[in-house]
Amino acid sequence: MHPVSRRQFLTTATGLAGILASGVPPAWGQSREISYLCWNNFAPASDKKLSEIGQRFTKDTGIKLKIDHISHMGPQQAKYASEVQTQAGHDLVEMRMHFPWLYEPQLVDVSDVVGELEKKHGKAIGSAYEGAHVNGAWRAVPQYHGMFLATYREDLFKKASLKVPDTWEDLYTVGKELKKMGNPVGIPISQNYDSISTAGPVLWSFGGQEVDKDGKTVRINSAATVQTIEWYKKMFRDCMEPEVLSWSDASNNESIQQGKAGWIHNPVSAYIVAKQRKLVTADGINHHRSLGGPHGRHETDTPRHIGIWKFSKNIDASKEWIRYLLGKRETYDEYIMAGDAFNLPVYEKLQDHPVLRTDPKYAALRGEGVQYHTYGWPAPASDKVQLITNSYILPNMIAKAVTGTSTKDSIAWAETEMKKILAG
Amino acid sequence: MAAVRADEIPVPRGRPRPVARLRTWLDRESVLGPVLVTPAMLLLVLLVAYPFVMALYFSLSNAFIGRPSHFIGIRNFVHLWDSDAFRQTFQNAFVFTGIAVAFKVVLGIILALLLNEQLWFKRMIRGAVLLPWVIPTALSTLGWWWMFNSLYSVVNWTGLALGLMDPPGPNWLGQRYYAMAAVIIVNVWRGLPFFAITILAGLVAIPKEIYEAAHADGAGANARFWHITLPMLKPVLAVVVLFSTIFTFSDFNIVYVLTHGGPINSTHLFATLSRMLVIDVGRLGEGAAVSLYLFPLLVFVVWAQLRFVRKHAN
Repeated sequence: MHPVSRRQFLTTATGLAGILASGVPPAWGQSREISYLCWNNFAPASDKKLSEIGQRFTKDTGIKLKIDHISHMGPQQAKYASEVQTQAGHDLVEMRMHFPWLYEPQLVDVSDVVGELEKKHGKAIGSAYEGAHVNGAWRAVPQYHGMFLATYREDLFKKASLKVPDTWEDLYTVGKELKKMGNPVGIPISQNYDSISTAGPVLWSFGGQEVDKDGKTVRINSAATVQTIEWYKKMFRDCMEPEVLSWSDASNNESIQQGKAGWIHNPVSAYIVAKQRKLVTADGINHHRSLGGPHGRHETDTPRHIGIWKFSKNIDASKEWIRYLLGKRETYDEYIMAGDAFNLPVYEKLQDHPVLRTDPKYAALRGEGVQYHTYGWPAPASDKVQLITNSYILPNMIAKAVTGTSTKDSIAWAETEMKKILAG
Repeated sequence: MAAVRADEIPVPRGRPRPVARLRTWLDRESVLGPVLVTPAMLLLVLLVAYPFVMALYFSLSNAFIGRPSHFIGIRNFVHLWDSDAFRQTFQNAFVFTGIAVAFKVVLGIILALLLNEQLWFKRMIRGAVLLPWVIPTALSTLGWWWMFNSLYSVVNWTGLALGLMDPPGPNWLGQRYYAMAAVIIVNVWRGLPFFAITILAGLVAIPKEIYEAAHADGAGANARFWHITLPMLKPVLAVVVLFSTIFTFSDFNIVYVLTHGGPINSTHLFATLSRMLVIDVGRLGEGAAVSLYLFPLLVFVVWAQLRFVRKHAN
């Protein structure tokens, strides 16, 4: 053992005391390592591309990046909750819709990063702004978005000479035929997000709303809601099978991919997966423009964002990753292209993106004449809107009605539940 | 023999070695007992007492995930009655537990009686019976989910092929009574081995002489079962029913994987509703209150059944 000189001892001791007092590790001891929690994308190639870009990021910056994928919304929420409660976990998290509102106190203000991105790519689109711009500050960085649209078995429609529907009422007409053919309409009426993503547009198209645009007054008890429920009742009876009451977010995709459903309301993911897995139904699946009603043609837009937890010890490195992924046009393009039109860019200058021209079946995504909204429209985005969503009030109201509860009682129940949330 | 002087007797020099001192110290019962119990106590405090106290605190607060909370007394417990999801859950928990435990008792006794017979491959069969209990619940329930799934249901496929069902067959997970039946079936399937094997142990312990004497007195199989087997199994049954009632009331995996509590909350149990309120909605306080709602009742059940067992043992 080498003897330690007095000078060496003093130097080491002073250094250690400095580290302990400041609470900041020395540069060589700082963990230039960040972790990013995101969901298993419905376009699986997108996850592969993300990992590839991540490896390049590590090579270029020296910051290690660990990407964890978690299945869909339920487990993701459990992870958010546990990370926030324990103040430990990932540095970055992918969030959906209004989740940044719900976790606002726990998220870093990323307005600086969004400002830089907007300078390059143009303003963030409306749905991204609604979801991630919370009380005057960006609490998450807009990443991509996906829109719902009509997905149908074009081959079956042609075979039976069925007209492509243009309104929700038209869908009832063709739906009856589809059910007779053994290819029912597949709209989930259960506790999942796809159920809300369809119930919203139907309600809006009939002129209804859950909460007023003042964000305080519950408006679910209306004639438009009665029309919506009556439409669902006849659809459930004549065009669908009771299985829709037990469906998860993936079930409608599987139903059309496996050759059962003739029409579903979904983003393009059902087609993308069928195409990638070379399923026999892939060629027959196509999309058409979202359906309309007496009060217009409305559709659900689902923006996704990247947030950084305040408890992260690597906030700067985390921002660097976001800039790397979304800031460089060529990298962002590469990422978007891998998503095969499921992940669409959220910045104005990139809206006419080449990914929309990669397959003629994506033409409906242009959404001419369609008004896109996030959940809860026309109420302004808020944590309460996300809570109404997470409590599945809309699908439960419809499920009650189609399984025997009177329309009036179902609506009264929903009204009470929504009022409770707004009051709380 | 020469006399040995006292100062010539070898004596240990200095203080005893630390190891020896530790050994002497540990030899004392008053020390060794607490030392052996401490690790278990620590585990109990960390893994049971701490979470329980935290849950108790949350249930008395308006805690919301990631936000500061305030003490609100028993308001959560009172307000839960306004929620029809909670009232439905309360009813579900009793229906689910009552039916599942009843089936497990009856089928468990039948299975134990069968396993007690002289069968071929006795050991193998006894081992196989334990399988549902050994496989991780979430995994086996996924198998059941696939069997009940509307798109891939082999249950319906078989029923239709045998002409027992009309197409498209029952919607197992989407209609409230079928969904409840499905979660009960899986719970019974999973819990049956626990009943059967424990009751079997009780059966084996009944002295053969009693049966022989009864047989000599002309008692038939039925009489032997009702007057010997069942009364002598009572203490074992009481313990098994006690454990099963608690486990069934607090079941989570089966309902979560199969139905997520749906359709329209018709299969929610306390644990799954609590998870939904805490994780999906963020209401930590309300969720904790849901999970603790039956605690006093379960404590009473435990007390009553243990009292019964003790009385019977005496």
